Amino acid sequence: MSKPTAAPEPAAAHESPAAQPESTRTGPGRLLVAVYALFALSATARAAVQIGTKFGHAPVAYLLSAFAGVVYIIATVTLTNGSPRARRIAVVSCSVELAGVLAVGTWSMADRAMFPDATVWSGYGSGYGFVPLVLPVFGLLWLRYWSKRAKSPRTIGTSAEDAGQTAGGVGHGEDIETAQRTRDTAADGKTQRT
Amino acid sequence: MVRDGPSRRAGPRFQTALVTTFGSKMLSVNGAVSTTIIVAGLVLAGYALLMTAFNRRMSVPLLAALGVLEILLCIEVGIVVAKLADGGRPPGGLATLIGYLIAIPIVPVFAGFWGLVERTRWGSAVVAVAGLVAAILMVRLHEIWPAIHV
Repeated sequence: MSKPTAAPEPAAAHESPAAQPESTRTGPGRLLVAVYALFALSATARAAVQIGTKFGHAPVAYLLSAFAGVVYIIATVTLTNGSPRARRIAVVSCSVELAGVLAVGTWSMADRAMFPDATVWSGYGSGYGFVPLVLPVFGLLWLRYWSKRAKSPRTIGTSAEDAGQTAGGVGHGEDIETAQRTRDTAADGKTQRT
Repeated sequence: MVRDGPSRRAGPRFQTALVTTFGSKMLSVNGAVSTTIIVAGLVLAGYALLMTAFNRRMSVPLLAALGVLEILLCIEVGIVVAKLADGGRPPGGLATLIGYLIAIPIVPVFAGFWGLVERTRWGSAVVAVAGLVAAILMVRLHEIWPAIHV
């Protein structure tokens, strides 16, 4: 499971519930990251046990489970990170995930002999309440919201973040802070460090 | 969704479980704990979802409910470990069961942390997921080892 130790500080600074989320891991992203982390853990652990104990029983299903686990881990990490580059990787992993659940779902219906044991994605994720089918859709919608926000100039949060990255910021949280200082300085013509 | 899971793959081992759980008048203690966890988890999920709908961030009652859930889950893990120590072995695989025993107590702790750092309604939504997951984990535990009654 991801260890988001750097997360709390920026969120605690401004407490208004109406404020826009500051990162892909805050706001609705908090829920998304939690569910992704859950699936990353369960798919990976399940695949590890199956491959370790009875690989010969259903090799295709188990390898697909392992692949799904890796995709979930990448999505969890990149959504938690939330930098422009991480968001691009997240878009790819969510798309792969959606394609995977559709392809494996159809495949598992058509060729049952190939899947004597279930994967996370077989039956379109029916063993997991169809969450694997819905999750990448919400992930992609959330990432689309962010890419739109990054493009529009009036939303300061993200443009500041991007500016922070070009300035060579270290961590994501620091990026926002540094960039906001830069923006304040640029806008007012004087330093506003508090 | 939760109830559909086991019935779809009704095999011989599940039928024995049905006889011992639902048919029996003497509901064993561990069955009571699992049932309490399922009910508590679903109630917590409902309450947390209500808080999300009302745009409330995570509160002390939610945190307390997570604490109660954590205690119940730890009792459940203790019961399963005692069964293992007695020499019982799950038909669903020992490795899977141990994985569940490790994962189960982490769920409320992680949800509490992840919900608290989020100062909006979405913190409550994370708690709702934890309650739901606790309930689902109990059903899965019963699938792995029908001796653990639900």
